[in-house]
Amino acid sequence: MKENRLDNILQTLDSIPYVKVKEPFSGEVNIQGRVSIQFEGLSEPLEFYVVIYPQYPFRTYDAETIKFINKDYLKYNHVMGDGTVCIHTSHNPNIEKKLLIDFESLKNWIEKYYINIDSDLHYEHLITRESDFKGIITSYMFTDVDYTFNRNQFGFVNLSLLSEGKNGNKPIHNYLTKGFVDEFGKEIVICKWSNIYKELGRPNHGIFFYAEKQPATYNRFAYSNWKEFIDVFTSDFLEFLHQCEKEYIKKKRRGQYVPFYIGYKIPNGEVHWLVATIEIGNFPIEGTKENQIWTSKLLNENIKWATSRNSSYKYFFGRGAFSSKLTEKRILIIGVGAVGSNVARTFVKCGCTKIDLTDYDVKEPKNVCRAEFQFASGRTDKIEEMSNVLSHISPFVNIHTVNQPYFEIMSKALFGKDKSRNELEDFLNSYDLIIDCSTDDDLMFVLDNLSLKSDLINLSITNHAKELVCAFHPNTYDFVSKQYSEILDNDVEDLYNPTGCWSPTFRASYNDISMLVQIALKKINNIYKSDSPKDNFIVKSEINDELNIKIIQY
Amino acid sequence: MAINKKEYLQEVLETHKMSHVNSLLDKYRDKRKSIKEALEEHYTDKIYSPLNSGSYAKHTAINTKFDLDVVVPFKKKSFSTLEEMFDDVFDFLNETYGTEATVRKQKVSIGIIFYSDNDGDEISIDIVPGRELNEDQYNEDNKLNLYVHSQYGLLAGKTHLLTNIKAQIEHIKSRDNERKIIRLLKIWKSSNNEDYKSFLMELITIKAFDKDSISGDLCEMLESTMEYIRDNITKDGFTLSDPGNSGNNVADTLESWQKENLSSKMKNMLDRIEDNSDNLKIYFPINPDFKENEDTKSSEGYGVKTGASTFSIPTQNQRFG
Repeated sequence: MKENRLDNILQTLDSIPYVKVKEPFSGEVNIQGRVSIQFEGLSEPLEFYVVIYPQYPFRTYDAETIKFINKDYLKYNHVMGDGTVCIHTSHNPNIEKKLLIDFESLKNWIEKYYINIDSDLHYEHLITRESDFKGIITSYMFTDVDYTFNRNQFGFVNLSLLSEGKNGNKPIHNYLTKGFVDEFGKEIVICKWSNIYKELGRPNHGIFFYAEKQPATYNRFAYSNWKEFIDVFTSDFLEFLHQCEKEYIKKKRRGQYVPFYIGYKIPNGEVHWLVATIEIGNFPIEGTKENQIWTSKLLNENIKWATSRNSSYKYFFGRGAFSSKLTEKRILIIGVGAVGSNVARTFVKCGCTKIDLTDYDVKEPKNVCRAEFQFASGRTDKIEEMSNVLSHISPFVNIHTVNQPYFEIMSKALFGKDKSRNELEDFLNSYDLIIDCSTDDDLMFVLDNLSLKSDLINLSITNHAKELVCAFHPNTYDFVSKQYSEILDNDVEDLYNPTGCWSPTFRASYNDISMLVQIALKKINNIYKSDSPKDNFIVKSEINDELNIKIIQY
Repeated sequence: MAINKKEYLQEVLETHKMSHVNSLLDKYRDKRKSIKEALEEHYTDKIYSPLNSGSYAKHTAINTKFDLDVVVPFKKKSFSTLEEMFDDVFDFLNETYGTEATVRKQKVSIGIIFYSDNDGDEISIDIVPGRELNEDQYNEDNKLNLYVHSQYGLLAGKTHLLTNIKAQIEHIKSRDNERKIIRLLKIWKSSNNEDYKSFLMELITIKAFDKDSISGDLCEMLESTMEYIRDNITKDGFTLSDPGNSGNNVADTLESWQKENLSSKMKNMLDRIEDNSDNLKIYFPINPDFKENEDTKSSEGYGVKTGASTFSIPTQNQRFG
């Protein structure tokens, strides 16, 4: 079998006119050899060390299982630090065909990047050789900031330890970059996280130096040795680094790590930060005496790069979000039960950043199965629970909880009094969008009678989640009431009423409810995106022989 | 349970009749009379006799939302410009009624909304000042130039509008079926908060009857009219000529997207009514205040019977979320 595989490979290579085997292929597990490539347009043959892994022709962990390696070509695009040419080719389960495809890809790379020295419009971040610090992996997230750093500017970085977890088999410490301060501790700028993250505890700090120019070889590989920064770091900065280390040692932190941020501008004008870890007591500097003056010099030491990520809003939600016409709105969600919590979570997952919540109710264990709550937090106010859930999802959402007794009194007890009516209108008009998921008929009546400038959407479902009713202010009360009393078949004979229950509730699973809510929100997003009329609609789900879902437009 | 569409719509019209609000209407008439008298006294020989116009004069009014309109025909020499005329009438009305009403400039009229009286009624009267085209010709041709208040949208840029109120009233005279459909469409407009102009709905209904020889019972006529609107309003070159001024195409007051929306709304309504005739209740609700039914006469009218239920069991109309 093994011989067959090797024979297959050799026969296939032999059939490719531009490939010559320079060193015979062999190997028990990995099959390895050396080839030269020569074709018209190439002035001289190129040689590659080829490794074919046992998974070949299948890919493994999203990577090709054939490697073409030559460190002499590091300066060319799409060559990794170990000299591997980075190719991504089509799937083919047949080893002979896959080899033909992969060598054709190598030939394409040679034509495009070796012969034509093509450069890509798409920018890729510098390649760093990341390493742990004494067995601990560290990771740093930052956002774009409204500040222009000056070349050679340095100071401190404020951080918070966000979480500790596992990465592979090693522990990982995740840090949130909160902001930058100058060498005297004066704030320069803070990162654009939500308030809860700006105020996050477990503080820590690091050091930053803004180089402006990217610290890289071949514009692709981040420097790997501190000596390479010799023309980048200023003597002022090296002195600052030395003083910092002295202070850390004074505070008995010898042996601990300090994150060292090195910033530079990338082609789209953004600032990117690479982060290295440096050990207190072993900073990569040494003091030397020249002309009776002590100065700090960089040491010839490898850099321990950590992971750093620009997690700004546009990258965080870059893969997909609601229309900005929706995400930029200030939103109030009234009622965070099964429907309201699903709406809130979807809004946050889709990029909304200003969400207020109101609900009088307490989360019980029985609510968890179909609302966006978690069992682990126990019995707690629903809005408290939702605030935590939503803040855990997005570092950009600011959640406020509305004073529920105030809202209840204003909307119910004082309804009809001009002053409180005006106050309630002013309060609600401070939002751009209100989603009423409370299923409170009295509140719906009150809201329907207000003069609102903000948009208001009323959402509710029937028993078994057969239908979701979506109504837009000012056509809410009459429309919704009539739907439930005259149009829809809302079977309330078959409610869920377990032993000990005081108030029976509707039957529907998380899947039943979430499906309707997601369809409704997709339509609502489209209404805002395309400035379509805000007409009421019903999402109807029927299962006869097959599942049938439709939107009934009013 | 499916309803009898024709009988239902007849009940809708019945419950929206102005005769149900006679006492309120009397208050409107009294106010209108006093305003007319005040205008005649103030402007004396600068004006011809003010005349009633609007939906009430055309018998297309509905009792859930209405106002009374008075047209004040000014003589050619009364003011040198239409704007002066408009501003002067506004100033006069504001001075006379400003302490008891909100007086505001509207597109071609001055709106007077009297503060709520002891019964909580708000009386609203619109005064439309217009000036005859040529000296002493009004009595012959009934033509008036209206001032177009500039802050208003689609007519922005236009400073005046030629019209003939009497011709507009005449246009709908003796058209009983059309009036019923216009009233139903106004009920839809009012109860579903649609902001299409009544005048446009009026003209398109009359055109539908003229072009499509609409017949049948009330529901069939309504549906045919809605089909006509659905199929024609978005057509290139579709016009709705103002009977008071053939040069004024009222269809032009709608942008093309508004026409698309109106067509789409008509389609949705027709589809929903076909799906389930009960949907008529959503679009054309009965005015519950004048429902000729025993349950409005007792506590049941407040839904006591239908709303009450067994202890801790939700009612049929219970919503969930």
